[in-house]
Amino acid sequence: MTTGFWHQVRAVIDRDLLRERRQGDMLWITIPFGAIALLLIPLAIGTDAVLLREIGPGMYWVIVMLFGVLVAVSRASRETLPQQDASALLGLDPAAGFVGRTASSAVFLLIFEVVVGVVAVGLYDISLIGIGWLVTTMLLVAIGLALLGTLTAAIVNSSTAGAALVPLLVAPLSVPLLLGATQTYDGLQGGYSILSWVLLMVAVVLVVSIIGVLTARPLQET
Amino acid sequence: MSDWGWVTFAYGVAYGSLALYALSIVLRIRTARREIGDNE
Amino acid sequence: MQSQVRIRRWPWVAIALSLAVAFTLSMISPADSVQGDLVRIMYVHVPAAWLAYTAFFVTFVGSVAYLVTKNLRWDRIAAASAEIGVYFTGLALSLGMIWAKPTWGVWWTWDARLTFTFIMFFVYLGYLALRRTTDDPIARASRSSVLGILGAIQIPLVHFSVLWWRTLHQPPSLIRPDGPAIQDSLMLAALIVGVLAFTIVYVALMVKRIELIHLEEKRLAVEQSIRRPVAGEAVTAPELGAS
Repeated sequence: MTTGFWHQVRAVIDRDLLRERRQGDMLWITIPFGAIALLLIPLAIGTDAVLLREIGPGMYWVIVMLFGVLVAVSRASRETLPQQDASALLGLDPAAGFVGRTASSAVFLLIFEVVVGVVAVGLYDISLIGIGWLVTTMLLVAIGLALLGTLTAAIVNSSTAGAALVPLLVAPLSVPLLLGATQTYDGLQGGYSILSWVLLMVAVVLVVSIIGVLTARPLQET
Repeated sequence: MSDWGWVTFAYGVAYGSLALYALSIVLRIRTARREIGDNE
Repeated sequence: MQSQVRIRRWPWVAIALSLAVAFTLSMISPADSVQGDLVRIMYVHVPAAWLAYTAFFVTFVGSVAYLVTKNLRWDRIAAASAEIGVYFTGLALSLGMIWAKPTWGVWWTWDARLTFTFIMFFVYLGYLALRRTTDDPIARASRSSVLGILGAIQIPLVHFSVLWWRTLHQPPSLIRPDGPAIQDSLMLAALIVGVLAFTIVYVALMVKRIELIHLEEKRLAVEQSIRRPVAGEAVTAPELGAS
C-alpha cells in the first residue's frame, strides 16, 4: 500500500500541474494580480524610498498571504462533487489526494513567492541579508499556506458559497505564518535569534499536515 | 465622560447585547415553530 | 412530526436571576484605589472573555466527539457553542475597548491578548459562515467538525506567535498601569459571582440554541418531505428514477 500511496500522490500532482499548464490561472492571473498589488501600495501611500524599504518586506508577506489564498480558491471552485465521486470510485486514497493537492499547491505558491518577490525587491529595494534563511522561510510559508488552503478547500467545496469562504477561513489561521515570516526577516536584519520563529512555522506545517491526513477520509465520505 | 458614565456604557453594552441575542434566539425559535406548524 | 421539541422556559428565568445577583454585587462592591469605579467593567469583561474561551473549547470537544461517534448530538453542541462563543468574544472585545479608552486613552492597544482574541473571533466567524453554506446536516457536521478541530489546534500557535511578536519585537509603547489588584473580598466575590452568572447564562443559552437547531433540522425535514409545485400546479418536478 505504501508504494501505492506515493504513486497516487504523484498522479495527483501530475494532474494538477497538467491542468495549470493548460489553463494557467496561476501564471496568468494570480501572479500578475499579486505584482500589481505591490505596485498599487506606493501609489496610495507615497513613494518615499526609506519608507518603502521599511514597509516592503511586510507588504510582500501580506500580499503572499492574501493572494496566495487564490490558489486554494480556484481549487475549491474547480473540484466539484462529481469529480470527487469519481476519485473515490477509482479508489484514490483520500490522504494521498490531500498530500498530492498540497504538494502541487506548494509548488504554485513557491513560484508565486519567487516572482512576486523579485518584483518586491526591485520596487521596494528590499535587503537580502541571510538569503539562505529567507529561502527557507519562503519554503515553509509555501508549504504551510498550501496545507491550510488545501484543507480549507476540502472543507468548503461542494457548498454553494464555498469558494468565497476560503479566504475568510485561511486568513486568521495563517497568522503564525505571517508573523513567522516577517519576524524572521526582521531578526535577520537586526541580527537576533530567529530560531523560535522558524520552529513555529515548522510546527504549523506539522500540525496542519497531521490534521489534513487524519481528516481526509471523513471529509471525502460526505 | 465620567467613570460612572463609562461603567454605564459598558453595562449597557453587556446587558443590552445579551438581551438582543436572547431575543434573536426567541424569534428564530418562534419562526421555526410556526413554519413547521404551517407545513403540517 | 409527532415528537415535539420541548419548550423550556427555565433558561430565561436562570439568566434573569443570575444576572440580577451579579449586577447587584458588582454595583455594591467598593471602587478600586487605582482605577476607581472603572474597575466595575472588569466584572462583566472578565466573565465574557472567560466564557468565550470556554465556549470554543466546547466546540472543539463537540467536533472531536462528532468525528469519533458520528452522533449529530455532538455537532449540535459544537454549533451552538460556537455561536454563543462568537457572541461572548465580541462582547469581551467591546467591553475591553470601553475599558481601555478611559484607562489608557485609546480604544485599542496591540496587546497580545487583545490581538489574539480578535483573531480568534474571525476563526469562529468563519466557522459560522461555513455552517450557513451547507444545508445537509451530515455533510455540514463533518465539514464544520474538521474546521472546529483545525481552529482549536491552530489557536495555541496563533496565541504563541502573537505573544512572541509583542514580547520579542517591540515593547508596548503605552505605559500600562497594572490591572486592579483585588484588595477587597467583596471585589473578589463580584468577580467570581460574575463568572458563575455568565456560566449559567452560557448553559441556558446553549439549551435554547440547541432547541433551535432541533427545530431547524425538523423544518428542513418537513420542507424536503413536501413536494412543492415548481412552477404552478400545471408543472410537476422531474423525479429521479421515473420511467
